[in-house]
Amino acid sequence: MRAHSVPDRSYLLLGGALAFTLAAPLLAPHEPDAFSLSLRLQGLSLEYPLGTDHLGRCVLSRLLYGFHVTPVAAFAIVAVAASIGSVLGLLSGYVGGVIDQALMRVVEGVFIFPAVAVALTISAVLGLGMGAIIVSLGAVHWAEYARVVRNLTVTEKTRTYVLAAEALGASPNWVAFRHILPNVMHAILVLIPFSMSWAILSFSGLSYLGLGAEPGSPEWGLMIAEGRVYMRSHAVLVLAPGLMILSVVIFLNTLGDRLRDRFA
Amino acid sequence: MSTLVRRLGLSLVLLAGITVASFALLRVMPGDFAEILLTQQMDGEMPTAEALDRFKLEHGFEDPLPLQYLRWLGGAATGQLGVSFHSEDPVIEELVLRIPNTVLLAVSSIVTSLLIAFPLGIGAALRPGSLFDRAAMMVAVVGMATPNFWLALLGMLLFSLTLGWLPVSGFGTFAHLVLPSLVIGTSLAGVTARLVRSSLLEVLSADYIRTAHAKGLKRIRVALGHALPNALVPIVTLIGLQLGKMFDNVVVVEAVFGWPGIGRLFVEAILGRDFPVIQGCILVIGVAYIVINLTVDVAIRWIDPRVREAL
Repeated sequence: MRAHSVPDRSYLLLGGALAFTLAAPLLAPHEPDAFSLSLRLQGLSLEYPLGTDHLGRCVLSRLLYGFHVTPVAAFAIVAVAASIGSVLGLLSGYVGGVIDQALMRVVEGVFIFPAVAVALTISAVLGLGMGAIIVSLGAVHWAEYARVVRNLTVTEKTRTYVLAAEALGASPNWVAFRHILPNVMHAILVLIPFSMSWAILSFSGLSYLGLGAEPGSPEWGLMIAEGRVYMRSHAVLVLAPGLMILSVVIFLNTLGDRLRDRFA
Repeated sequence: MSTLVRRLGLSLVLLAGITVASFALLRVMPGDFAEILLTQQMDGEMPTAEALDRFKLEHGFEDPLPLQYLRWLGGAATGQLGVSFHSEDPVIEELVLRIPNTVLLAVSSIVTSLLIAFPLGIGAALRPGSLFDRAAMMVAVVGMATPNFWLALLGMLLFSLTLGWLPVSGFGTFAHLVLPSLVIGTSLAGVTARLVRSSLLEVLSADYIRTAHAKGLKRIRVALGHALPNALVPIVTLIGLQLGKMFDNVVVVEAVFGWPGIGRLFVEAILGRDFPVIQGCILVIGVAYIVINLTVDVAIRWIDPRVREAL
């Protein structure tokens, strides 16, 4: 929607955040995997601004490299969810009838089901591991996208531009994906920050339990799990990654609120 | 009444779906279920091909799937859910042992979240824009964004390891219940407090509230006695949603605190690929979800007199 795209501060915010996320590893003073047992559990110093963990790895560097693990996994989860949801929503809204009725009942059910439990079960069948968790978390989170896209599609399909495209003989696929989808895209974008928050919290939580990222990865939840044993003497090992997750999620929720105020 | 009947019908369909999914779990899991079962019965010895064929024939693994499903369903209805791959105990015994613990944690978490959310939300709505309002909403925003497992560790570090007020983990006394409930309660309270605030604010602008004020009633009486009951419907809906999704919180928090509930059982079963236990847990979660949602439906109708009379 061109009329909406006047640049404002949320775009600046988003751009800055994206740039920082991409550049974060460049700011790291050390390699995230460089370990040295003689340097284990060091306190804060100029060399290691946040100290070192139980293997002597630089905590700050691992946090910064973590920007390419947790948020990226969350983005992949959201991409899976948004794709499934949008396609089903378009189908449901555009075709209508019995398919629409049935799909919306399914959405109702999926929307309120304990998603993480289902995701864990799916990933157990798929064989666990990071890929399996990403696919399963995405596969249980599509309902909201389907509902929003479906509701908008129902009104969009009565608009003149859709009727015109249909009159010109465009195929249903073409109308749905080339005409309606671009016009409901703004609603999908508004949902993404909140989904990202949910995905980050869920993914890091599962990683903490040993069900997400592979051992050794600088994933924030996993870092908390590894630091837990030393929490009493080295609280920073648990505090720092947790604050990282907290601030990223607050940022995303704030961005989501702003986008929603703007578009809805 | 018809909507309730429709809901009931929908729940039955859902229940059927959940049982089919649970049944399917043991058929789609990696490896041949019959082979795993027989290997276990022979104390880990690999069965011969003939023995496996005989076993499959005897236990009906060659029957059509719908027939197998019905037989399994009959068993499940009478509590026969097979034995755990690991402990070799009947799954039903594990479940029966752990369900009350999870129910206890879930209920006490919801109560905790309401005890936090209502004072914050009501206080914020009474003086919108005030310092208290802004502070309360800030707390809500942070509460919503805090990872459960991290908050649990911080709580442990502060209240158990440093101050020594509460046990680190485990189960048995009231003190063991405090931290897990606080952790789940805080994470739920953020959304609830925001909703209490916004729905109370909406009701407070209604005409009958102005009338109540005009009659000279105290501010707080008007807010709590006149406005709050009408603001309650969306809040009860939210609580129902939170209860239905409670398992997502319970999975993580039970594992962190070593709380012997369904959540921990489930995580252990997933990590150990203990499919009969996973299946049992999914059944329990599914049935709980259906019961909770039906209860909430009834509760909402009961709270709102306009709907109650229409029943």
